[in-house]
Formats: sequence, C-alpha cells, structure tokens
Amino acid sequence: MSSRQFVLLALNGVSFGALLFLLSSGFTLIFGLMRIVNLAHGSFYLIGGYVGLTLIQAGQSFWVAMIGGALAIAGLGFVVERGLLRRVRGRTMPEVLLTVGLSLIFADLALAQFGGDPILLPRPPLFAGTIEFGEVTYPTFRLFVLGLGIVIAALMWLLQSKTRIGAIIRAGVDDREMVAALGINVNAIFTGVFVFGALLAGMTGVIGGVFLSLYPGADAEILNFALVVVILGGLGDLRGAIIGSLLVGLIDAFGRSLTPSLSYFLLFAPMALILIFKPQGLLGRVTESR
Amino acid sequence: MRNLTIGKWLSLASVAAVAIALPYIVPSFFVNMATQMLFLGLFALSINLIAGYAGMVTLGQAGVLGIAGYGIAIAYSRLDFSLGVSALLAILSTIVVAAFFGLLLVRATGVYFLMITLAQGMVVWGVAQRFTVLTGGDNGLRGISRPPFATEYWAYYYFSLLVVAVCVFLIFRIVRSPFGLSLKGIREAETRMPALGYDVRRIKLLAFVVSGTFAGVAGLLLVMYNNFFSPPSVYVKASAEGLLMSILGGVGTITGAFVGSGVFVFVTNYVSGFIERWPTLLGLIFVLTILFAPDGIVGSWQRLVWAPLLRRFGDAEAAELIEIEAGGGGLLTGGEAKGVRPDPETDSVTSVTPESTAERQSRQ
Repeated sequence: MSSRQFVLLALNGVSFGALLFLLSSGFTLIFGLMRIVNLAHGSFYLIGGYVGLTLIQAGQSFWVAMIGGALAIAGLGFVVERGLLRRVRGRTMPEVLLTVGLSLIFADLALAQFGGDPILLPRPPLFAGTIEFGEVTYPTFRLFVLGLGIVIAALMWLLQSKTRIGAIIRAGVDDREMVAALGINVNAIFTGVFVFGALLAGMTGVIGGVFLSLYPGADAEILNFALVVVILGGLGDLRGAIIGSLLVGLIDAFGRSLTPSLSYFLLFAPMALILIFKPQGLLGRVTESR
Repeated sequence: MRNLTIGKWLSLASVAAVAIALPYIVPSFFVNMATQMLFLGLFALSINLIAGYAGMVTLGQAGVLGIAGYGIAIAYSRLDFSLGVSALLAILSTIVVAAFFGLLLVRATGVYFLMITLAQGMVVWGVAQRFTVLTGGDNGLRGISRPPFATEYWAYYYFSLLVVAVCVFLIFRIVRSPFGLSLKGIREAETRMPALGYDVRRIKLLAFVVSGTFAGVAGLLLVMYNNFFSPPSVYVKASAEGLLMSILGGVGTITGAFVGSGVFVFVTNYVSGFIERWPTLLGLIFVLTILFAPDGIVGSWQRLVWAPLLRRFGDAEAAELIEIEAGGGGLLTGGEAKGVRPDPETDSVTSVTPESTAERQSRQ
C-alpha cells in the first residue's frame, strides 16, 4: 500500500468515524441517562435524510435541508418519547422492543414514500470541491463532516462538563432516583435528551445522504455501525463513542480496501475481542454495560 | 382436575387430527400457508426457548438460521453433496457458529445481550451480501431441491409437519428437564444461580446452541420450501419478525410460537392482498402487543381463562404457577429488565427459584 493510498484510507476512515460519532453520541447519551436502547435511531437517521431530500427537491439549500431534517426528527423524537416510550418507562425490554416495532413501521412508510432506489443528495456548493495536500486530493465535504464531528464533540463535552444541564445529566446517569429526589424534573430532562439525540440523528441523516446515499436498509446498516461503536466504546460514555467511532470508521475504510467481501467480518473481530476480554467496553464502567 | 387433563389431551388430539387432515380439506394455497406457519413457528419457538424461558431476548436469530440456510444451499448447489449430507453439514455449521456467537454472549444480559445478537445477525447479513463468490450476494442461491419424496406441496407439508412435531416434542422435553428449569432460574435470578452451584455461563451457552440448532432446522425447511435463499432471510428484519411472532403468540409458551407464526403468515400471505402497507400493519401489531397485551395471545388466554378455570377446580397452586409463567415470567410486564440493574425487591416478590419450580412441578 502506497503512502498516498494510506493517507486517503485513513482520511476516509476518520471522516466516516466522525459521521458515526454524530449518530452514536446521541444513541449512547440516551442510553446513559434513560437506559433506553433506541433501535429506531437508524430510522431517525434515514427519515431525517429523506426530509432533507424533500427540502432539497423543493429548491432549498443543503443547509436548510440539514436544519430541517434535524428539527423534523427532533419533533418525531418528542412524539415517540412522550406518546409511546413514556407508557412503558423504566421497563427496559418493552422500551427497546417498542423501538424495534417503530423501526419496522418507519422503514415501510419510508419505502412507500421514497421508493427503493438509492438516492445521493448533492453536496453543498461551499464544500463541493476537493482540496490538495501534497499528492493527496481529497473532497472537502468529508473534511467538513470531520470538522463538524469535532465541533459537536467539543460542544457536547462542554455541555456535559461545564453547564448545569450537563451536571444534571451526569448525575442522572449515575443515580436518577437521587436526582428526582432533589426536586429536578427528571421527566423533562429525559424528553430533552431523547429529543436532542433524535435531532443529531436527523441532522446526520442529511449528511449521510451526501456521504453514503439514502436507501431502504440504510437505517439498519447505520444502526449496526452505531451498535458496534457503543459495544466497543462502552454504552453511555461520550469518550467511548469518540474512540469507538474512530476505530469502526478506520476498520471499515481499510477493510473495504483490503478485503471488500469480508469487510463486515473484519468489523466483527474487534467486537469479539472486546466482548471476550473487556465486555463493558473500552471505557465503559461495569455498572453501565451490564 | 382430571377433566381438565383429559380436555388438554383431547384438544391436542384434535389439533393433530386437523393438522393431518388439512391437505384433504383446504386448497393448496392454504396448505402452503400452513407449511410456512410450521417452519416459521419453529423459528419463533427457537427464539422463545431462550427469550421466554431464559430471559435472553435475541434480535439476531435470523443470522443463525441463515448459517443453516446458506450451509445447505452452498453444500448442495455449489459443492454437489447429496441433500441429506448437505442438511447434516448445514446443521453442524449452525452448531459451530452458534457456539462461537454464544461464547461472546455468555457474559451479557438484558439489552446488552439483545444488542450483541443484533450486531452478530447483521454481520452474517453483511457477509451474505458481500461475499458474493460463496453466497451469490443479492441474487441469492438457487437450485436447492426438496427431498425427492416430498416435492409435491402436500408431501412437503407432511414432511414439515413431521420434522416440526419432532422438534416441538424435543423442546417440550427440554423445557421440562432440569436443564429447562435451570434456564428459568437464570431468567428469574441470575445472580442467585451461581450460589446454588449452577454454572450460569455454561447453561446460557448450551441454551443458545440448542436454540440455534432448532433455528437451523427451521432454516432448512425454509430453504427447501422456497428452493432459494438470499440475504433478506437473514436480515435484522427477519429476526425482528421472529421475535414479533414469539411475543404476539406469547413468550414462554410453546403453542404461542405457532399462534404467532399463524397470524404472521396470515398477514403476509393473505392480508397483503388487500393492504398494500402490510409491513406497517405488522409493526403496528408489534407495538400494540407490547403496549396492551405483553403476555401475547396464548399468555393472555392462560392468565385470563385457564388459570381461573384451574382455580375453580381447586388447583390453586397450578393456577398460580401458570400466572407466574404466562408471558415468560413477566419478561415484558415486569420491572427493569433483569441484568440491567439487579433488583432485589422484585427478586423476592415474584421469583421462582429453580427449587420451587421443580418442587411444584414434581408435585403435579
């Protein structure tokens, strides 16, 4: 492998990792606080992408589409949390199975509305070109995704460690009964976190529409990547999501290049190792992953 | 009590009579539906075996089924083994893969178990999709035939009936064996089992392999029914549908799996002719079942009709046992899922320790 190819693959891996982080950070945050494994997160991503597509087809810019997709899915997340998940609050298995049922419904409705062909969203003009460093030419859109991933990670870290809301969320992850006993409205915090995770998923869907294209099944595929990310990084941990995303992104990029037919299997290898030797995830705490 | 036992045998006999007479009563379309109901029911039952009896809810069972499906398809149509040898190889490879998957799962509980099985199933799907040299990718594999004595639709129905009946009998024996009771022990109080001298990891591994083997048998029947196997059969959606059948029928019951698969087959084969968006309908059924009837059809029947009936005939103990068992020991109705946060309180209120279950059943 030439050094040029190596740099390209590494960039591909890191930028895909950034996309995965945007999705899995919300996923892991929802689990950390609410203990809900939201298996409709992939559907949120895909439908967010389709909302973006609708807006772009209506003549709006990519940026409007991105914000529109994010807001629409935030609204959907609000309805799902308030209307359905609240009914089975605290019962983990019904919660996760409800999201499975929802993902079946969303997948079918999306298929009915947008058809079965893959659709690639156009790049925004600002990031439509390529950039050259030395002998490597690289599309700027992927660098934009990488930058966005870093910005969101930094913002989430600031939010978690420097604000009052973040302190409440951290406290809620550790002991939500105690937080409720202190007079904090945990239900509102739950809804807020769920909506925030949905918002990120919807936004990522529009970006993913440019990055990977939208098609029926993209929901389950991206969800699977997010699952592997949190299995590697540990559930409910922001830093774990960063490390897991980068690992999965890089493994996928190099795997696709080295052995295209078995790249999925390569993804499985580190997961197997983690499960055997450190089942709580690289950074996960024992109480969170059990 | 005696009357009820006789009633149970009578209903079993009448189900058997209807099953045997079916091809003489209804046209081929419905016989084929019944065939699908049989092997999909076996698939749902394999999920039920670990979800309902051991509390291990899987979303990757279609991946395990897929090992058998691809196993027989590859051995038969690519490597030119005979059908019988191909089936044997397929089951053996299913056992090996299930054992490997199971080894990664033995330390996981609750939602974590579910997530890992989902990822495992998706890996099988990803390999099926991309390793085209072996699996044919999206085009799938063709050219698998039914056994020469069961090529006609009715003969294949009887063949499936025989295979599924044998499997159901085996599962019936398994869940009532000491091993089956230790599964319930894990479901009810996983942390307590080691203290009683049980090797929880080994029991869970064995349960996963046994369940995977039955899923493999269902996969063989599916492949020979369709003469075709392709990635959608191993997709997470197929796993979710299996879980749907299991929950809709009633987790923790054997009949429930077939009631669930019956409803599923009815929707996919029949209702789909009238309602274009039938997958949405299935999703809705899933959501509504979890919200309003988490014990499923058979579980609700047992809880609402059968248990009061037993009580009325003076067998309060058997009635209580049924109420505890219906719905897989409260898999979907209980508090926090077991293992996510061990809850000593529910543990002591509703738990059936292996001894007490064994004692109660030995007294019956």
